[in-house]
Amino acid sequence: MEILSMLNSPVMYLICGGIILFVAVTCIVFAVRAYRAGRAIGIDEGKMKRVIAASTTFAVLPSVGILLGVIALSGSLGTPWPWLRLSVIGALHYETQVAEAASEAAGIGRLSAANMTPEAFSTIALLMSFCIMWGMVLVIFNGKAYSRRLAAPKVTETQPGKKKAGLAAFGDPAMTAMFIGLVSAYIASYIGTIVSGNGRFTFTGSWLPLAVAAISGLAMAVFIRIRETKKAEWIDSFSVAGSMLIAMAAAIFLGRLL
Amino acid sequence: MHETESSQSRELYESYLNATHRLGRVLTAATLLLLVGAPFVIGLYLGALPNLGAVLKAFLGVGLVYLISGIVEYLIYVPMLGAGGSYLAFITGNLINMKIPCAINARDIVGVKSGTPENEIIATLSIATSSLVTIVVLALGVVLMIPLQPVLQSPVLQPAFENVVPALFGAMAYKYYRMDFKVAAIVLGCMTLLFILVPSLIGSTSMMVIPSGALAIGLTYLGWRKKQ
Repeated sequence: MEILSMLNSPVMYLICGGIILFVAVTCIVFAVRAYRAGRAIGIDEGKMKRVIAASTTFAVLPSVGILLGVIALSGSLGTPWPWLRLSVIGALHYETQVAEAASEAAGIGRLSAANMTPEAFSTIALLMSFCIMWGMVLVIFNGKAYSRRLAAPKVTETQPGKKKAGLAAFGDPAMTAMFIGLVSAYIASYIGTIVSGNGRFTFTGSWLPLAVAAISGLAMAVFIRIRETKKAEWIDSFSVAGSMLIAMAAAIFLGRLL
Repeated sequence: MHETESSQSRELYESYLNATHRLGRVLTAATLLLLVGAPFVIGLYLGALPNLGAVLKAFLGVGLVYLISGIVEYLIYVPMLGAGGSYLAFITGNLINMKIPCAINARDIVGVKSGTPENEIIATLSIATSSLVTIVVLALGVVLMIPLQPVLQSPVLQPAFENVVPALFGAMAYKYYRMDFKVAAIVLGCMTLLFILVPSLIGSTSMMVIPSGALAIGLTYLGWRKKQ
């Protein structure tokens, strides 16, 4: 049997599908427990339902993007393994880089179905699992202690004559800052691509990612304006996914201009 | 009366948190075993076990980078995600491109603060829901892959799907830049200059999130200290 048909065989679907099912059940268990605990400690059920609705709409578009990642990798690794990796633990950019490095180390050169051997595949699969497991390892061994330590700054509240504040009050600005940093790295990389993507100061790189980001930001501004002027709080649940959809649709037209 | 209710809620929350850590550890360890064990099971099926020497060699090449980024991600994201959210997020992956923005979006929608019991519950619900959506979309996609493949791979739609990440970050940029425009302008300016002058870094953008985030946090801290 040729390698790609073995990698797409029912046995492979059974192994990978079984693990995905296990993780799906884990998600359901966590969601049900959190919902029940939220109700027990007095969190408004309406809020929790809004979170579920917003997270569902939010996740649909990125999930379609991840599905395209499965399609992209399925040409060289078959469908079941990329399906497993991208449903569980992985992210497309990690998986692709590691698979490429592993295929080089396994001696088959570039990652492709034409070069693939059974040993190379099992080696690639193990390296993909091994490289991207550290978050899980840390959370198993240190998750509880780290979470407890994060909750510790409450001690400062007990000091007489001192305002609540302390470092605990810096938590929210720090999270916003972290997000500004995250977004800035990516937006800056799009500008860097235009200016120096094909050599320093050549100004010949693709401007599409930056244009798409700008359109998405503009759409977000409109959504926020509608929310603020019309007091339409519900629009929050769709603003990010809506902005992305508008920008992705624009990318189709802008792509034709290139 | 209110005090009794509040102490009861605190006890309930504490016992929920302890059980979450227990369950989280067991289920994360089980998932890890399944993920690391699968290549060996597949190797038995294919008739060739993994070449451990090649795995070690490749790990020393690229794996160390992921080890460091895994540690940094862990330190940065656990405070955002809470206990339940962290276990789930590290099991299901796609942190930067989906889980983190999704959890923060959910937190903003209902207006909860990090480190509170509400944040713990909301983050867990958000990550569990988004993970299930991904699992369902991917499962449906894999089932429909053969008939869908021509549509999804049609060259007309490619620019849209190739730009999912810029579309996500554009929307998030507007949302967060307006919260602290000064910090955003400085960080964006510095990172742009860095990428223009050292274009080879463009291929490692996910690693460049670390200095970018550190700069943003540092600037925000200085501003916050001034206000105190």
